[in-house]
Amino acid sequence: MTDGIAIRPCAKFPDEEVSSNMRNVVRTVAAVAGVASLALVAGCGGGDGGNGTDDAASSKLQSIIKQAEGMTNDELFKKAIEESDGKTMYGIGNSSRGADAATEFIAALQEIDPSYSGKIEWSQPKNNSIFTVLNADVNSSSHQYSMTLIQDANQIQTKMIDTGVLLNFVPKDWKDAKGVNADVDSTPLLTLQTLSKVFQYNNLAGTSYGNVWDFVAEGESPMFMGVNSEPVGKNFLYMLTEDTYATTLKDAFDKLDAGQQAAFKPTVDAMADEAKSLGLEGDNAKYALAWIKLWASQYNEQTDDGPIEQQLVTTSAKGATGLLVYSKLRSIEESATSSVKNVDIAAYQDGYAGPGGFGYKHYLALPKTSPLPWTAMAFISFMVTDEQGFAAWGKDIGGYSANPNINQDHTQDGVVDGKDEFPAMDDKGHDWWVSDDGGRLVLEDAQYLAKVAPVMSDWIDMIVGSR
Amino acid sequence: MSAVQTALPGPGPGGVQVALRRTKSYLSKPWNSVLLVLGVVLTISTIAPLVTIVVDTVTVHAGSIDDELGTGRGFTLANWQDLFGGMLRGINFTTPLLNTVAMAVIACAGAILYGGAFAYLVTRTNLRFKGYLSGIFMFPYMMPQWTLAIVWSNFFSSSEVTGGSDGLLASVFGIHTTAWIAEGLLPSGLVLAMHYAPFAYILIGAIFRNMDANLEEAATILNTPRWKTLFRVTLPMVTPAVLSTILLVFASAVGSYPVPHYLKFTTLATRYVEMSVNRQGEASILAVTMMTFGIVLMITNQLSTSGRKSYTTVSGKSGQTSKVNLGAIGRYVVAGVFVVLTLVTSIYPILAFALETFLPNPGDYSFLKTWDTANLTTKWWLTDTNTNEALYGQYGILHNSLIWAAVGRTILVAALTALVAGTIGLLVGYCVSKNIRSRWANFVNSMAFLPYLMPSLAVGVAFFIFGSRLGIFNSILLLVIAGTVKYIPFASRASLNSMLQISHEIEESATIQNISWWRRMTRIIIPIQKSAIISGYMLPFMSTLRELTLFMLLVSQTKIVTTMLNYYDEMGLYAFSAAINLILIVIILVFNTLVNKLTGASLDKGIGGN
Repeated sequence: MTDGIAIRPCAKFPDEEVSSNMRNVVRTVAAVAGVASLALVAGCGGGDGGNGTDDAASSKLQSIIKQAEGMTNDELFKKAIEESDGKTMYGIGNSSRGADAATEFIAALQEIDPSYSGKIEWSQPKNNSIFTVLNADVNSSSHQYSMTLIQDANQIQTKMIDTGVLLNFVPKDWKDAKGVNADVDSTPLLTLQTLSKVFQYNNLAGTSYGNVWDFVAEGESPMFMGVNSEPVGKNFLYMLTEDTYATTLKDAFDKLDAGQQAAFKPTVDAMADEAKSLGLEGDNAKYALAWIKLWASQYNEQTDDGPIEQQLVTTSAKGATGLLVYSKLRSIEESATSSVKNVDIAAYQDGYAGPGGFGYKHYLALPKTSPLPWTAMAFISFMVTDEQGFAAWGKDIGGYSANPNINQDHTQDGVVDGKDEFPAMDDKGHDWWVSDDGGRLVLEDAQYLAKVAPVMSDWIDMIVGSR
Repeated sequence: MSAVQTALPGPGPGGVQVALRRTKSYLSKPWNSVLLVLGVVLTISTIAPLVTIVVDTVTVHAGSIDDELGTGRGFTLANWQDLFGGMLRGINFTTPLLNTVAMAVIACAGAILYGGAFAYLVTRTNLRFKGYLSGIFMFPYMMPQWTLAIVWSNFFSSSEVTGGSDGLLASVFGIHTTAWIAEGLLPSGLVLAMHYAPFAYILIGAIFRNMDANLEEAATILNTPRWKTLFRVTLPMVTPAVLSTILLVFASAVGSYPVPHYLKFTTLATRYVEMSVNRQGEASILAVTMMTFGIVLMITNQLSTSGRKSYTTVSGKSGQTSKVNLGAIGRYVVAGVFVVLTLVTSIYPILAFALETFLPNPGDYSFLKTWDTANLTTKWWLTDTNTNEALYGQYGILHNSLIWAAVGRTILVAALTALVAGTIGLLVGYCVSKNIRSRWANFVNSMAFLPYLMPSLAVGVAFFIFGSRLGIFNSILLLVIAGTVKYIPFASRASLNSMLQISHEIEESATIQNISWWRRMTRIIIPIQKSAIISGYMLPFMSTLRELTLFMLLVSQTKIVTTMLNYYDEMGLYAFSAAINLILIVIILVFNTLVNKLTGASLDKGIGGN
C-alpha cells in the first residue's frame, strides 16, 4: 500500500481482448443500468404538481378539515388520540421551537388519556429547502409530513397555495376566541404568530436615528440578513412599494431637514422612471424604490440575526445599526463589553418617523397528503388556542400570537428591581407596533407579494449583486 | 478474464447455448458476478442522481421564473435561456464561476506548497519533532472546514473594516486589518488551503516515503548541487501525487459551500443556495456546472494516467532511504517554523474553541481585556433548563439531549457509511484487480471514483432531489446512501492498490485445493492486506463524521452534529458549535488512535498505514 487515495492508474487498461460474448453482456448490463437510472428518475416525477391520486387524497382531506373546523379542542384531541396512539407524527417547520410545542401537546393528550403513546418528530430543514421538501413529499410515493409551520408569504402563495400543496385549517376554538381577527389571520393560511424585525442601533456614538431614512444615509451600513438567504427580508422590501408603506416613507422623507432631503433627492427623482418600468403606479413609489435601492446597496450582510445582535450590543460597535428580530435582545448577557443598554430601538424614540421595522408571519397548515390529519389539526389548534401551546414562542418579546388571549405581557421586561434598567426590552406589544402612531411595522400581504415579486426580485438582485 | 476464457472462440451464429455456457462460466467466478452486480448498482447510484439534477434544469418549478404559464408543471428551456442570456447572467453565473475557479486555484496552490513542503521535510530530511508535527499537522483536516473560516472571521473582523463589532485582533490588540484579509477571495482560498494541506501531506508524503533513493544518490555521487537534485530529480518523481492532489483539492474546493459563505465570497455553491427561492432550475444548472468540473477532472486524470508511464520506473520500493541533512541548527530552526505555523493552524483554533465555550456572549472577549474571571461563564456547559434566554432556549451542552442524540446519529451514519462504502470498495478493488484488462472493470472502477470528483454540494443537491422524490428525506438511509456513493473511492482505491500487490498465484493455489471463495477472502486475501483494507473503512468514517456540504440539504438541522454545528454557527451560538467541534476532534482522535493501535494505519501516514 503506497499512495492511498491518490488517483493512480489501477493499471494500464490497454485495448485488449474482452470476448465479444462478454462485451455484449457488458453492454447490455451497462445499458440496463443506464435505462434503469433514467426510468427511476422519470418515475420519480418530472415536474411539480399533483396527480389524480393526490387530488383524491386532497379532496378527502378537505372533507376531514371541514368536519374538524366544526369541532372544539376537546373533540379534536380525542380524535387525535384515536388516530395516532402508538404512532409518530412528522412535522416540519421553520422554527425549531415546534419541537417544544410538540412536547407540550403530547403532555396535554396524555392528561386526557395517560396511556397515549404517540410521538411527534419535528424537523427544521436548512434555509429555503422546506418548500422543495414539502413539494417532494406530496408527490412522493410515501407521504411523511402531517403538518407544517412555515414562513414567507410570497413563496407560500406561489408554491404552496396556488399549487394546492398545503391546505388551510381554521380551528373553531381559535375562531371563536375573543379578540381574534379571523378575516386577517386565516389568510392565506392560519397565522400562528407575527414576528417583528425592528430597527436597532448602538447608542454609544451619541448618534440618534429619528427617521427611517437615517438608516440609508451616506456612510451607513446597517446589518441585515441576506435578502436571498432570508426571503422575508426581501418581502419587506417588496411590501414597501405598496401604496400605504410608500406613503409612510414619503411622509418620513418630508420630515427630514432640507439638507438631508437634498442628499436623497437625486435618488428619489431617478426612481420615478424606474417605478414606471417596474409597473408600480403609486404616486409615492419612487420614494419606496429610492429607499430600497439605498438599502440594498449599503446593507452589511450577516448570516443570522443572532450574530447581528451580539455585535450591536458591544462597546466596539459604536454607531452600528441593524434590522433584526426583536427577541434577540433577550439573549444578551451583561459583561464588560456587551450590554443591552448600548442598544436603542429606533421606533421607541420620540418623534421617530417611518416604519419601525417589519412583521412576518409563521403559518400553520397541512400538506394535502397528511398521513395523520386529525393529530395535525389538534396540534395546530393547541398552538393557537392554548397558552402552553404558544409558550415556546410567547416567552419572547417581539412575537405575537394571532390569538391575544395567549400572549404574554412583556411591557416590563426591562425592569429590574423596580427600575427600568433596559428600556429596549420593554416590548410595547402587537397593537402598538402595528398602529400608525406606534411602530408602523410593515406587514406582509401574500397577494401583493406574489404580484410584485416577479419584477422586483431581479431589480433588487441586480443592486445587491452589483455592489 | 482468465487466459482460458480469452482463448475460447467467440460465439458463432446461432450458438445461443454456447453463449449461455460461456456466460455461465464467466459468472461462475465470484469476482465476475460481484463485478456485474456492482457495475449495475454503482451505475444506478451514480448516474441516477446526476440524471435527476439534469432533468431538474428543464423542469418547471411552481413559483419560479420558469413557471411562465403558472401551472407549476411541465418542462422548459427557460432556465438555460435566462441563466446564460438574462440580465443577471453576470451576477448569477459568470462572477460566481470565476470566483469559484480563483478560490480553488488558491486552495490548490496553498495546499500543495504548504502540505508538500511539510511532506518533504518529514519524509526526506532529518527534521526534528517529526512525530509531534506529523500528528498536529492533521488537525485542520479533522475539523469541519468552515470552523476554520469562523475562527478566521472572529479573529480578523473589525468594526472599522467589516462593520459590526471588533474581532479578537482588533479587540485585544487594537489592530484593524484590511477588508481583503478579513473576508472574500483570499481568506476563502487560504482557509481551504489550510484544510486541505494535510490531504496534500498524506498523498505527497506517501510517495516521498516510498520513493526509490537511488537516483538521488546517483545525483549526489555526480556532485549535483542539492537544489538541482531537488528540482530535477526529487520533485519530478512526485509529479503524479501533486497532480492527484490538485485534482482532488480542486474538486473539493469547487463544491465547498460553508467556507465562502462565512467569509462572504460569492461562488457557484453559495449562489446555488441563494437562487433556490425563485430560480430553482437555474440553481440546478449551477450544480450541473460544478459536476462538469468533476467530469473534466476525471478526464484530466485519465489523460495524466496515460502519461505517467515515465514515472513508473522510479516508483518502486528499493528499501534504500536517504535523508537530506538540514544541519545541526537548521533541523531545529525549520522545525521551529512549523511548530509556530501549526500553532496558528492547529492549536489556536482548538484554544479558540475552548475559550469560546466560556465567554458570556458569543465573540465577547471581555475577559481577555480585563482578565476578570467574572467575564467568563460555565452556563454553556452546565445549564440544565431550557429557560435561560441567553442560551436561546437551549440546554447546556452537557445536558443537551439534542446534541448528544445528534452525536449518536452521526457515529451511526459514519459507521454504516464506512461499513457499506468500505465493503463495496473492497469488492470493487478485488474484482477490478482480477479483471484488470477488462473494459467493464475499468468502467466500474471509474463509476466508483466519479462521485469523489463531483463537488459535494452538487452531489448533495442531486441526492436531495432524488431522496425527496423517493420519500426518504431526513432519513439515516439517505445519508448513508449519499455518504457511501461519495466515499466508496477512498475504499476502492485503497483496496485496488493493495490487491494489485498480491500475486494471483496465492489465491490460485488455494483454489486448486478447493478452498471456497469466501474462505479465500477471509483467510488469505483480507488478512494479507488488513492494514490497507481497514484504512479503506477508516477514511470514509472520518470523512462522514465531519461532512456538512454533502449532507446539509438531506436532513433537518438537528439530525447530525455537522448540520447542528452549522445551525449553531448560523445563529451565532459559537459556544455550542465550538463545543461540538471539540467533541468531533476528540472522537476522530480516539478512533484514529484505536485503529492505529490495532492495525498500524493512521491518518497522518495516509491510507495503508506505515
